[in-house]
Amino acid sequence: MNDPGPPGLTVTGLTVRYRAVTALHQVTLRVRPGEVLALAGPNGSGKSSFVRAVVGLAPVAEGQIEFGGRPLETLSLEERARTIAWMPQEEPVGDNIPIREYVLYGRYPHSPRFAPVRDSDRAIADRVLAELGFTDRAEVGVQELSGGERQRVRLGRVLVQETPVLLLDEPTAHLDMGHQLDILERVRRLAHAEGRAVVAALHDLNLAARYADRVVVLHRGRIVADGLPSSVLSPALLRDVWGVVADLRTDPRTGLPYLIPRLPGAELRLSAAPPFRRVHVIGGGGSATPLLRALTSEGHRVTLGVVSLFDSDAETAKELDVPAVAEVPFAPLSEESRAKNRDLLAEAEVVVVAPFPVGPGNLPVLDDVLEVAGRVPTYLVETPSTIARDFTGGSGASRLAALRRKSRVVADARELVRALAVSAPAGDAETHHS
Amino acid sequence: MARGRAGAASPAGTPGGWWLGALLLLGGVVLVAVSPLIGPVPIPVESSLGIVAHGPGPVSSPNACPGIHVSTNQCRIWAEIVWQARIPAMLLALAAGAILGLSGATLQGVFRNSLADPYLLGLSTGAAVGAAVLFVLDVDVAQAGFALPAFAFLGGLIPGLVIFAVGRIARRSAETLVLTGVALGAVFSSLLATFLLYSPVADLQVSFWLLGGMSDASWTHDALLFGVLLAVGGTLSLLGRELNLLQLGEDVAQSVGVPVQRVTLTLVLLTTVGTAAAVAFTGVIGFVGLVSPHIVRRVVGPDYRRVVPLAGLVGAAFLLLAWDIAQTALPPIVLPVGIPTAFVGAPFFLYLLYRRRSVAGAPA
Repeated sequence: MNDPGPPGLTVTGLTVRYRAVTALHQVTLRVRPGEVLALAGPNGSGKSSFVRAVVGLAPVAEGQIEFGGRPLETLSLEERARTIAWMPQEEPVGDNIPIREYVLYGRYPHSPRFAPVRDSDRAIADRVLAELGFTDRAEVGVQELSGGERQRVRLGRVLVQETPVLLLDEPTAHLDMGHQLDILERVRRLAHAEGRAVVAALHDLNLAARYADRVVVLHRGRIVADGLPSSVLSPALLRDVWGVVADLRTDPRTGLPYLIPRLPGAELRLSAAPPFRRVHVIGGGGSATPLLRALTSEGHRVTLGVVSLFDSDAETAKELDVPAVAEVPFAPLSEESRAKNRDLLAEAEVVVVAPFPVGPGNLPVLDDVLEVAGRVPTYLVETPSTIARDFTGGSGASRLAALRRKSRVVADARELVRALAVSAPAGDAETHHS
Repeated sequence: MARGRAGAASPAGTPGGWWLGALLLLGGVVLVAVSPLIGPVPIPVESSLGIVAHGPGPVSSPNACPGIHVSTNQCRIWAEIVWQARIPAMLLALAAGAILGLSGATLQGVFRNSLADPYLLGLSTGAAVGAAVLFVLDVDVAQAGFALPAFAFLGGLIPGLVIFAVGRIARRSAETLVLTGVALGAVFSSLLATFLLYSPVADLQVSFWLLGGMSDASWTHDALLFGVLLAVGGTLSLLGRELNLLQLGEDVAQSVGVPVQRVTLTLVLLTTVGTAAAVAFTGVIGFVGLVSPHIVRRVVGPDYRRVVPLAGLVGAAFLLLAWDIAQTALPPIVLPVGIPTAFVGAPFFLYLLYRRRSVAGAPA
């Protein structure tokens, strides 16, 4: 390309409209040669519309798509096909033609009309097939391949087109983990080695972070984030765009960010998201574990009150990044731990008492809870099997009875989460029983 | 290469495929050799061979009819039958069969539908309506001359042109186009029925014409139809790559540079002209266009660069075989050629349906 314009693909103010629906609003984007750009966004965010508009299959209402300074609409179909190759999310399987013939379809825009396939085209197809590991099976029919092999062969067809721009719409859809990594690794190496500009629409943000040089996030047809994976991916973005609460970690090997979505509760978030709260849980003996999981999944900021160091509740808290007050096992409650726990109680907007078996060491903690229970909404989790949980000869039972009067009793983690979701924010005492 | 799912055509055809191919080729040669010897008028085989060897020139002595003692006049009549009826009919069957085979393969490719053929799209029925108009106007077929093929040709063009216009103006998908053709076929069928009720005299003529035949063959017709075959068949055979790419869907085809709209409409237009011309001279002949491409796919696999021209060859052989059967099955009656084609075609059609069912999920 000896054109004066900027190299690579330049999209300016692209708006795509299907009748009344505007799928893409004023999207401006530039992909440089050798750059892998991941296009991310939830379903219906405009990823496919963007890709289809660049291929020339979606109606461009406004804006300009250029390659190397040349507007794409000035190119003939064949020139366009020599510039941009497209791997759609899905395509008909077609006839059971040999792999080599299928891959050769990609040479269509390069070869003269009505002429037999040239040896130079065959050589290119064979080279790509060798790279993809199909040399021995070039004569096998495409219908005889597994899903992963077929995807690789489709990539082959796109590569054989030898275009400076590659558009891959969900190239890893329907693939298992190994094949996902395989395809994206190939694409990345190719882009970097041969200076091709790649736009890949990807659902999986972790794959996007790992293989893309840049991540662009679309939301309702607009670009809401654009930059390095490490700067773009954040729990806030996931919450705002996908409605999913997630933890952001760093891959110790690559230093790249990866997100762990918290499993339940996503649908709750998508509907009416209640404010997150500081919740202090009094637990022990594993009784708090389901509560901790449920509360953190909901996005609440959770702390855990006095548990033994090797208690399974303590393990869970560590796993979930929940700050916990821990005590040496089988020792009486130290003043230091009690004070720390009181601090957390004081900061809490909600207090939850898990159904742990009450021993002598728990009594001071329960006293402290009783003290705040009048001011802070307090939830007592009691399941039928844990009603008889007093191992203190009556003093525990009397405190629990007092607590029952000052708090709301719930049966399990689910009920607790639901109660928190519908209750008013902290400071309002109307939700708990007097 | 027998690793494919049962029933799915393997990429290079079936292992038995080449035997079938050789058999078809041999059958075609035999058919061409035998056809001049066959006809409703009994002529001794040796005399028929002698007449063929003598050539189309005027017969001046009974020596042209060896193997039997006949008068010069008798021999002249036989020579007339062989050279002005049997051989033109054979050539007409070859040309019409080739056009129908080529058209069937092309339409199946364009519409990505293994059941598509000129008949399904209403092209044949349109021609029948064109012919029926003539019968209703009470024109005697014998005096009609070129009026009959002309009317049939014009009638056959109508459904194809409507499909072309819908595709061009409304820019509809191939699926919409094929459904348009089916709907038009239904409209033409009811028109035809109305015509036949209105004019009972026309009924018999049209019925016979509807089932097709080569009895009206002449060297002029042959020349015209071979001209059409050369133009249409030649162009269709050149568009095999585009047909192959269309199998990946119109979007993918366009993304690699195929002008989908233009190619689709060109192919529909060419098959329309070809079919209308063939039907105009032979009457409506079903199943040749449907069956021939499927036979070819079993032999050489699904590549349209080979399927289209070879479906023309198979169609030619198939229609000639049907014509020979039509002349010899119930002598001295010449059956409408549609009867033997349907007798072979319909069971094959059922076989295809059964095969599609048995490999559910695998596109045939």
